[in-house]
Amino acid sequence: MTTLTDVAAPAPDPVPLRRAPRDHRGSWIPTGGMIATRFMELRKRRGLMIALIVVNIGIPTLFLVIRLLAHAFAPKSYGPAGGYDIYTSLVAGVMYVFGFIVAATLGCTAGSVDLTEGMFRHLVVTGRSRLSLYLARIPAGLAIVVPLVAIGFTIVCAVCVFAAPTTLNYDGANLPAGLSLAGFETWAWDHPGQAICDLPYQAPITTSIQCGPNGPVSSNGPNGPNGGVIVKGTPPPAVVAPTPATNREQAVKIARQDYADYRVHFLYPSNSLMIKSGLWLELEAVIGFIVGLGLGSLLGQRTVAVILMIVLEVILTPIVSTHVIPHLVNLERGVVGLATAHLEPGGLPFAFGGGGGGGPGGRSLLVPESTTVAVCVIVAWLVGWTALGAWRMMTRDA
Amino acid sequence: MATESQWAVETHGLTKRFGPNVAVNGVELLVPRGCAFGYLGPNGAGKTTLIRVLLGLTHADAGTMSLLGCSVPRHRAEALARVGAIVDEPRFHGHLTGRQNLQVLAAAREPAARDRVGPALERVGILHRADDRVSKYSMGMRQRLGVAACLIGDPQLLILDEPMNGLDPAGMHEMRDMILSLVAEGRTVVLSSHLLDEVQRTCDAVAIVDRGSVIRQGPISELLAGASLVLQVECSEPDRARSLLDATALGAQIEVGEPGLGISLPAGTPRDVIAEINRILVEGGISVYRLEEIQASLESWFLQVTSRLGDSE
Repeated sequence: MTTLTDVAAPAPDPVPLRRAPRDHRGSWIPTGGMIATRFMELRKRRGLMIALIVVNIGIPTLFLVIRLLAHAFAPKSYGPAGGYDIYTSLVAGVMYVFGFIVAATLGCTAGSVDLTEGMFRHLVVTGRSRLSLYLARIPAGLAIVVPLVAIGFTIVCAVCVFAAPTTLNYDGANLPAGLSLAGFETWAWDHPGQAICDLPYQAPITTSIQCGPNGPVSSNGPNGPNGGVIVKGTPPPAVVAPTPATNREQAVKIARQDYADYRVHFLYPSNSLMIKSGLWLELEAVIGFIVGLGLGSLLGQRTVAVILMIVLEVILTPIVSTHVIPHLVNLERGVVGLATAHLEPGGLPFAFGGGGGGGPGGRSLLVPESTTVAVCVIVAWLVGWTALGAWRMMTRDA
Repeated sequence: MATESQWAVETHGLTKRFGPNVAVNGVELLVPRGCAFGYLGPNGAGKTTLIRVLLGLTHADAGTMSLLGCSVPRHRAEALARVGAIVDEPRFHGHLTGRQNLQVLAAAREPAARDRVGPALERVGILHRADDRVSKYSMGMRQRLGVAACLIGDPQLLILDEPMNGLDPAGMHEMRDMILSLVAEGRTVVLSSHLLDEVQRTCDAVAIVDRGSVIRQGPISELLAGASLVLQVECSEPDRARSLLDATALGAQIEVGEPGLGISLPAGTPRDVIAEINRILVEGGISVYRLEEIQASLESWFLQVTSRLGDSE
């Protein structure tokens, strides 16, 4: 039973109703203050920040420092710390995967902690649009992820450029980098022994030369079947002994055939490649953060969301990238990791170890996909997960 | 849009179900503006659920409601711009300081809220710990921080769910004074609590909720006026005194206890009856040492009301 008689109490005169402040509280656009405080909230998570810095900056830095020290103390045993090969390995391997995981972890954290730590209720009670509360997390999180990836990448670039080798080691032959075709032929003319012994050649060699400790340096040398002396090539029957001229002609032929492969080997990465690689890594990190944010918000907890993101990046994507399932090709194309790999800059090995999406001599990705489709897949993932995360936040009981 | 309503909170037929359970059952609640209003009920009565519905933390299944004259959820943002609330146990980001937590909340409010962070911390008495991490705060300090979070919006309506939890006696005293000062400023405070003594000292009006429904509401003085009158009589020969009074037609329930007699008279009994009881005892040769009218407390009335309801069922 409810009685409603004489409810009004003898109270002091209430203040007249003031208008609600004009702050566009119902707007879905987050304010600068919301983004700044959200950034502060994430940045102050000391443990998380240390873990992210260690993974994304510390591990590549430690690897390069060890290589620098090893080269400094034993330069004959250990090559230079930097260079093109180290760069491609780090960028397409460690930084690509770790950058994604770091960004996803931060995204999952940003998407779930308000709920798990009880702040979501306080924020909703302010009357601020739940959508704007969600959207404020995106620039705040990216303001952490993007510089973090950039710092790690800059360190890698700096070491790879400034500690690069002075000569190119191409299939075991030490030679200058960046030669034109004529220059490469000239080098082969001048160094027929190295060219014939070390450079690959897809045709019968029409001369004979001794490779090994007493001849031109060969990669096979000390371990060769003739106790370190290898005779490469078979002299034509009519020829008693190859002359220097025939050797030089053969060396030039080999150089001409190998030039296409040689010209994509560098001492250190070009500026163009570094810029493209940097943007590609940032794209991967942005995807990791946005998807993690949506997943964290959807699930309402961090741990499971982070595990799912790691499974996606480390297990699911590599499997899908190397196995074509005939009836599920379109589904495979929809995996964001493959779409990102399609946008990988030429010059890097394929991110999942498949060997050269656009890189030197590598095979193509197994699942064919146009750039347009890849871009569409990435946009769909970004928009889709943002919509899912925002929807859950807007409909969730606080 | 806000209208000049005399009610700070107004609900009609408000209902919230969780599956087959009805947590809030057709609640009709009217909270006058500019007063401290107690919202009382036993555990599981639906107090917090009603508050969550009012604040838009969860949706209602039926009914209408308005806060400060703004229909909710239609004008929710406008209404909540003038409302501050603590719901359940106040929890914050433990790795941030108290001040930083309030800055996060102030950023979601109007720009002027940022300037109120310091004064709010000072008002609730934790300014000296404002730059410590919340993970180091005691429960009582978190309660105070929760109240500070309400104050940064300069609210006209405060909804405080069990704000006394975790406070020591001195803290409860300070909280009571603060609530009274807020009311003195013309704000409305809705206080949900099971500490009936505190509510009686603090609030002007109350609503009793049980099993999702409001069963009584009104000013405390009027509600208690409907409670039975209890007299404590200290006298000689209590058993004979009881026999003398039983022989009259006063309609009193009499119990013999350690200090004397406990006499319960029906609600609305005129005060002349007290003099009549004294006269009967004295004329019967009973020495009356002390005769005291015991004021009915909110607690005894609350138990009376809820037990009466239980009996009727």
